Amino acid sequence: MRIKPIYFAREAIDNMCKNFAMSSAAISTAALSLFLVGVFLLMFFIWNSFTVETLSKLEIEVFLKDTAASEQVQEFQNKILSWDEVDTIKYVSKDEALERLKEKLKDKPEILQAMTGNPLPPSIRIFLRDAHSTEMIVGKIRNYPNLESVVENSKQDIKYGAEYIDKLFSIISIIGWVGLSAAALLCFASIVLIINTLRLNIFARRKEVAIMRLVGASKWFVRWPFLLEGMLQGLIGATIAIGFLYFIKVWVLRKVIEMIPFLNISISGPLFTKLMLGMILGGILIGATGSSIALRRFLKV
Amino acid sequence: MIKMKNVTMAYDGVNPALDEINLQVDRGEFVFLVGPSGSGKSTLIKLLIRELVPTKGEIFIAGHDVVHMKTKKVHLLRRNVGCVFQDFKLLPNKTAYENVAFALEVIGKPEHAIKVQAPEVLKLVGLNGKFDRYPGELSGGEQQRVSLARAFVNRPPLLLADEPTGNLDPNISLEIMSLLDRINKTGTTVLMATHDREMVNNVRKRVVALEHGKLIRDQARGVYGYED
Repeated sequence: MRIKPIYFAREAIDNMCKNFAMSSAAISTAALSLFLVGVFLLMFFIWNSFTVETLSKLEIEVFLKDTAASEQVQEFQNKILSWDEVDTIKYVSKDEALERLKEKLKDKPEILQAMTGNPLPPSIRIFLRDAHSTEMIVGKIRNYPNLESVVENSKQDIKYGAEYIDKLFSIISIIGWVGLSAAALLCFASIVLIINTLRLNIFARRKEVAIMRLVGASKWFVRWPFLLEGMLQGLIGATIAIGFLYFIKVWVLRKVIEMIPFLNISISGPLFTKLMLGMILGGILIGATGSSIALRRFLKV
Repeated sequence: MIKMKNVTMAYDGVNPALDEINLQVDRGEFVFLVGPSGSGKSTLIKLLIRELVPTKGEIFIAGHDVVHMKTKKVHLLRRNVGCVFQDFKLLPNKTAYENVAFALEVIGKPEHAIKVQAPEVLKLVGLNGKFDRYPGELSGGEQQRVSLARAFVNRPPLLLADEPTGNLDPNISLEIMSLLDRINKTGTTVLMATHDREMVNNVRKRVVALEHGKLIRDQARGVYGYED
């Protein structure tokens, strides 16, 4: 049998126009759900680049005993430097530590004045090649055999951003889950609406369908227009969603960056293209799912 | 052309609407299927186009096993069997021409073939000049002609007619009857279910009579023969 794509497309579009109210409801729900998915993916990408960046700034700081012998400190430093994961280390003397504190507290001189002498310990700042090895390196430091000769307390005196990282990750994952479940719910709603739109159309055209069957139209000849209709609704929904998302990317993001210039937020072109393609596929998938369910349930061929 | 062997159809599984039907119709025959309402005429026609599957028995059309036919092959059967019904089954929002063209379109005929075949068959059934009328603007007889044109446009070897004159005046019925006769003369086998006593008695063709789902009479050049 000759396949007639133009005929199918025409029928699908005709159907959609005839049932404008239902179709627009289905399309807008699909658009909304895909838009939400898009927004959350976008947020996820931004957060991800953001945290990776923050993580890469993380360092481990080991505070040393005032009384530690300089050879032992030197040996400790050499040991740390010998680990592959460690990029550089920096020894901070008591005086340097005080300078840093003064710099930080220059707006509150009263605190500095209350200080007598230099209570600050010297420390070693360790910079890693990859922030993800933080925990491992901290573990290695804690296992250093002569640790007690250079460090007072292996718990308190080794500082790193672990708690901070954990919090950040848990916040991101909560936002992500809430967003994605809202989006999933909306996807479900749009599938239901597409099923309903098609049910009405199948009902409206039952006479035509009966005649098509009678004169020997193949199953798929009867089905294609309906299937296409659902897919088209999903596709249009996706296009609308992408339009809004593009607006967000270009306009809203620029405003945000203007307001908070130190936040280095950016979304690369290829990533956005991937997101758009994903949304288009998602829309078509939503439409196809809805229409195949409707066909199975309501169209007896 | 049609061969039915011990065909039983029971909708509810117990009371057969058709009971042990054996029927053979040869190529080119014209057969009246008669019987009062509820005798199983429509059921028999539905079985022949695989709208129903019999509870028991074998059905062959042009050598093809209809009962065991795969669902996805059924549309090919229907392309070779034209159907006409009492209620015409025309699409009200399409013109006479479009109704016929639609039937060709949905079986995937190319546009240029449709443009030749549809007008040709509409002229054949005597609707010249009424191509652009909608079913609502046509008389019952004319609507049945459109329906016949649609059934015949694909030149099927078998034409089934389920009380095609049931809604029509006697003289219009005769016109439809003579059209069916002309179609039969082109070599198409025609099976026509009817309870139009007068027509059956006037035309004198083979008559197959059903009663309570049983085939009670099969008579060449027969008469209607019920006292109703």
